[in-house]
Amino acid sequence: MNMVKNSSLIQMKGVTKEYIPRKWFFSKDQSRVVALNEVDLSIKKGEIFGLVGQSGSGKTTLGRLLVRLEEPTSGSISLKGSLINTLKGPSLKDFRSKVQMIFQDPYQSLNPHLSIAQTIGEPLVVQGIGNTRQRRSKVLHTLEIVGLSPGQDFYDRYPHQLSGGQRQRVAIARAIVLEPEFIVADEPTSMLDATIAIQLFTLLLQIRETFNMTILFITHNLAAANYLCDRIGVIHEGCIVEVNTAKKIIGDPVHPYTKKLIRVQPCFDFNRG
Amino acid sequence: MALISIKNLSIGYQTKGGLLKAVDNISFEIEQGRPLGLVGESGCGKTTIGMTLMGLLPDNARILSGSIDFQNHDLTQLGEDQWRKIRGKDIAMIFQAAMNALNPVMRVDEQVIEAIVTHKPGISPGDLDKRVKELFDLVEIPRIRMKDYPHEYSGGMKQRVIIAMALACNPQLIIADEPTTALDVIVQDQILQEIRSLQMIMDTGLIFISHDIAVVASVCRDICVMYGGQIVEMGTREEVFGTPCHPYTKTLLGSYLSLNNEWKVIIPTMRKAPDLTLKSGCCRFAVNCKICSNAGTSGIPSWINISKTHRALCCSEGIIRKKK
Repeated sequence: MNMVKNSSLIQMKGVTKEYIPRKWFFSKDQSRVVALNEVDLSIKKGEIFGLVGQSGSGKTTLGRLLVRLEEPTSGSISLKGSLINTLKGPSLKDFRSKVQMIFQDPYQSLNPHLSIAQTIGEPLVVQGIGNTRQRRSKVLHTLEIVGLSPGQDFYDRYPHQLSGGQRQRVAIARAIVLEPEFIVADEPTSMLDATIAIQLFTLLLQIRETFNMTILFITHNLAAANYLCDRIGVIHEGCIVEVNTAKKIIGDPVHPYTKKLIRVQPCFDFNRG
Repeated sequence: MALISIKNLSIGYQTKGGLLKAVDNISFEIEQGRPLGLVGESGCGKTTIGMTLMGLLPDNARILSGSIDFQNHDLTQLGEDQWRKIRGKDIAMIFQAAMNALNPVMRVDEQVIEAIVTHKPGISPGDLDKRVKELFDLVEIPRIRMKDYPHEYSGGMKQRVIIAMALACNPQLIIADEPTTALDVIVQDQILQEIRSLQMIMDTGLIFISHDIAVVASVCRDICVMYGGQIVEMGTREEVFGTPCHPYTKTLLGSYLSLNNEWKVIIPTMRKAPDLTLKSGCCRFAVNCKICSNAGTSGIPSWINISKTHRALCCSEGIIRKKK
């Protein structure tokens, strides 16, 4: 663990997110859905932070707030000490280049009309980085990093010509092409087979090493979080109930909900001979 | 005697690119009260087998060879009329996506009633009512929720209704195709307990299909590991998961993360998807297999018996035995 990891990159203070269900003519009182309730969280620079919880616990909402796909109802979120809630115009665009997201379903997160080159190159175009030739070599380089090599072979292909695992690699390439400081990976392997998932985990670890990136890894699979993450936060009904190092969370859980999550984790105990 | 026995079954899909053999020369038997697990990655043919056993193969699929022996009938020879009598009554299926398997505009109890009345048209209203209540009790859904619509149910409750529908006619064989894949871990745990205890009570035959080895291990006593349409290793769960022999089984186990991961995780280097257009009998795993690329084997695998119940399909007998 190096020194850099002690400074926090992301700070959430008292963040609440409420959704107001659509009004129907006959509906009486409007109950609000509290997706996140007064969440305080800090993520250190260079760490992989795992956010674990059941479906509907608010883990995806938290991820979407951090990349500003949603606005919090109240509370503040800051990146390296500067508030992100109020960003507008050029400063928002600058923020977008520093924070990227990898979505759950690689079959829906890639535009079928764009080639792999266009998909990965788009963030560069939007941010106005480099000329055509430089962008091409950057895209090819990124393809190699994510293990789609030789990059030339994949450059002009379209998403439908790739398997699920390869698509997710493209999604990862699109997220890292700007060399952001922070990536939110929202269940990136839940649609994929175990043999593919483990390869993607190794890739994420490599990327963290190479770029010293900070990653928020959202999952419902404690075992995956344990494998990948430095620290784990357990979220339950919109509240973060326990945060600790991965080792402590698994080995010495405190909150009853964490204990329950560990208990129901499927595992088999046939010792390998 | 085995409840159902499948012999040398091959199934192909007619596509623009030629005939794809989704299932290649598969044989296994299921005993009553001994759940069998089919494990493998997506595209390995496990759902195709489930659909075949329900007579629900799509139009472009064809049974190329083999037989399925069930109650002195060969299921591969049945017409649609005969299938309608068996499907749901003798063989029932628990489908993967509970959200899509229920009719959204029908009350839940009516859907269970429909499953019963289809096969027992003469049942009296009193008996029917009793049976429906029995089924809801069995899957632990409160009776006041019987008249609800599917959208009022949670994912786990929908899956319970699907299970109740599958059990409605006391089938002899239940096929559970990834019944917990769409659910999160806590609900998954409840449904697995449900399936385990029901299987115990009803003492039916069960085929449990999943890509998650720990889920299969928690329900089934016998395991078949599939790759590219072939069964590559079969045996009891202790044998297959305790002392895996086939290189693919080892890869699959090595890449599985669990909390008590005492053994080292092996990062697989598999690059190529299996070629399903290969001639029947060729090893589908050979393109990714270290043994084959090192030793230059024939590519025609054979079954190697490791114990009475445990065997693996591989080209290199020496390596399988040595590793044991």
